[in-house]
Amino acid sequence: MQIPEDTQTSLERVLSYLQGVNPQRIACFPLILNHASRAINVPVSKCIQNAELFGKAHVAAYRRYGNDLITFLSSTSSLAEAMGQKMNFIEDDAPQLADPLVKQLEDIERVKIPDFSSDGRLPVYLGATEHAVAEVGHEVCVSTVLAGPFTTAAALRGADVFVRDLYNNKEWVHKLIELCCQAGLKFIDEILKRKSLPIVAEPIGSASLVSPRVFAEFVSPYLKRMSDRIHANGGGLPAVLHICGKTKPNWKPMRETDWDIWSLDAVDMAEARAFAGDRVTLVGNVTPANLLKNTPDEIDAEAKIICEKAIGSPRGFILGSGCEVPINTPPQNIDALINAARRYGRFDADDVVSPKGKSCC
Amino acid sequence: MFFPLTFTRPPLRERPFFARRSVMAREREDILKDLSDSVLNMNLGLAVSTAREAIESGLDAFDAITNGLVVGMNKAGVLYEEEEYFVPELLICSDALYAALDILNPYLNREEGQAKIGCVIGVVEGDTHDIGKNLVKIMLDVAGFEIHDLGRNVPLANFVEKAKEVDAQLICLSTLMTTTMDEMATVIEMLKEEGIRDRFKVLLGGGPISQAFADRIGADGYADNAADAVRVAKELIARKPVTAART
Repeated sequence: MQIPEDTQTSLERVLSYLQGVNPQRIACFPLILNHASRAINVPVSKCIQNAELFGKAHVAAYRRYGNDLITFLSSTSSLAEAMGQKMNFIEDDAPQLADPLVKQLEDIERVKIPDFSSDGRLPVYLGATEHAVAEVGHEVCVSTVLAGPFTTAAALRGADVFVRDLYNNKEWVHKLIELCCQAGLKFIDEILKRKSLPIVAEPIGSASLVSPRVFAEFVSPYLKRMSDRIHANGGGLPAVLHICGKTKPNWKPMRETDWDIWSLDAVDMAEARAFAGDRVTLVGNVTPANLLKNTPDEIDAEAKIICEKAIGSPRGFILGSGCEVPINTPPQNIDALINAARRYGRFDADDVVSPKGKSCC
Repeated sequence: MFFPLTFTRPPLRERPFFARRSVMAREREDILKDLSDSVLNMNLGLAVSTAREAIESGLDAFDAITNGLVVGMNKAGVLYEEEEYFVPELLICSDALYAALDILNPYLNREEGQAKIGCVIGVVEGDTHDIGKNLVKIMLDVAGFEIHDLGRNVPLANFVEKAKEVDAQLICLSTLMTTTMDEMATVIEMLKEEGIRDRFKVLLGGGPISQAFADRIGADGYADNAADAVRVAKELIARKPVTAART
């Protein structure tokens, strides 16, 4: 099948969603994170530790693929790293958590609200963001991703101990999450200052890990403050939340935290659409491992099914990957994903395949 | 006949008859229920005190474990499958279980148990995410497998070496990352190269793993979660042809 050409810019396409009108075709957010280093042929560790390379890599990836969202993130521990958590850098992979900073309860004293001009790789994130906004901000949406307070706290404490704290040290764990929330709110302001879209990722709040009850008690109150901050200081920008893994059991408490756009992973998009109603725009959810392993035709088929399930959702649907595009994903598979949005998500002609929901994206 | 338990019991004549009868008549059921409930309800304190009580009242340690603690952990596993319990709950249940086991284990008559099925488990090299692996380890342990946990970021050859060394029947490989999933195929290749692939069942799990991936790389099974892992592991072992014991 012929792939129709885009005449809208990426930014025009994405702005259509915010204006409540149909774009020419649905947007596509493959979550290109560490894979961007491939676009400038440098190892991941080099790319994500240098603002200029990090920025250039994402601009180059955008120019190569035409993804509708640039996403600055190398690991969900970046804020924790700036708060004092040590990381192990790996030559050609995302960094991983070293020994937890907060081994004993009293180690909470060692956790600091970061200085955004110097701590960890925050200057790399913010410098790269500035670079991309200056280079391509007029044509594509640039976003900078930070971990939610619950995920940052888990990184500082070590996830296995942290989940036990939720039962054994409730008051204390709220204190730790509060610190992470304060750091996150500041990060949001720094990102907004640079005219980038802050996106919050809260993978430790996934229902693959925690229950709706834990979510409501330890995740919701802080996530709500983050979305409130974006709504208050974002000049009309939507609040975007990404949670990977299974999320369905936690949708209810998630909805109460007031995020406009949900990027989802291991869920059925038809169920998500029914739940989202007219409150939430959905992004998702081609299986990341399939992007790495499957053929372009298989990617196309998977994306087509997702489009059929989700297009017509009242607040709109954006095709995307469920989680990070794997570092070694073959470029033609990302092309296949974006081409699927061009094929199956059109609103500009009657003679092209446009499953369901002509009225809205 | 000498039972290791007897020396912990006060001599009979020191115990008043009525007290003894009421203790023994009441206790087996009640103690077992408390052991089970303490695990199910994440009550580590109750698990520890009830385990001590079990020993003091002369309850058989094997009985206390299999008909008490394990029953509670299996109930927790059911709640996990039903999405009543999630990872924190299951881990804290297991904390209560292991705290009580620490007390009961020294009183176990090792010979009364059957020979256990050896299982080598670990997170493949390059990945340090081990919560999922730990849950599977707990549930397989409770199901009666002999667990050899290699931990996380495990060099691939170690899986093969350990499985040979302990004459395991099951090798469980876990990863959460797409960058390391291919290492699982390498382990299977290593087994083939040594000509010992048939001696082991290889079970895979982790975020990016699917049944299709497991089939593609020639693994024997895939499990979506910790409870599922026990079911699949048991099926695989049941299907395993009886091979001559290694000399």
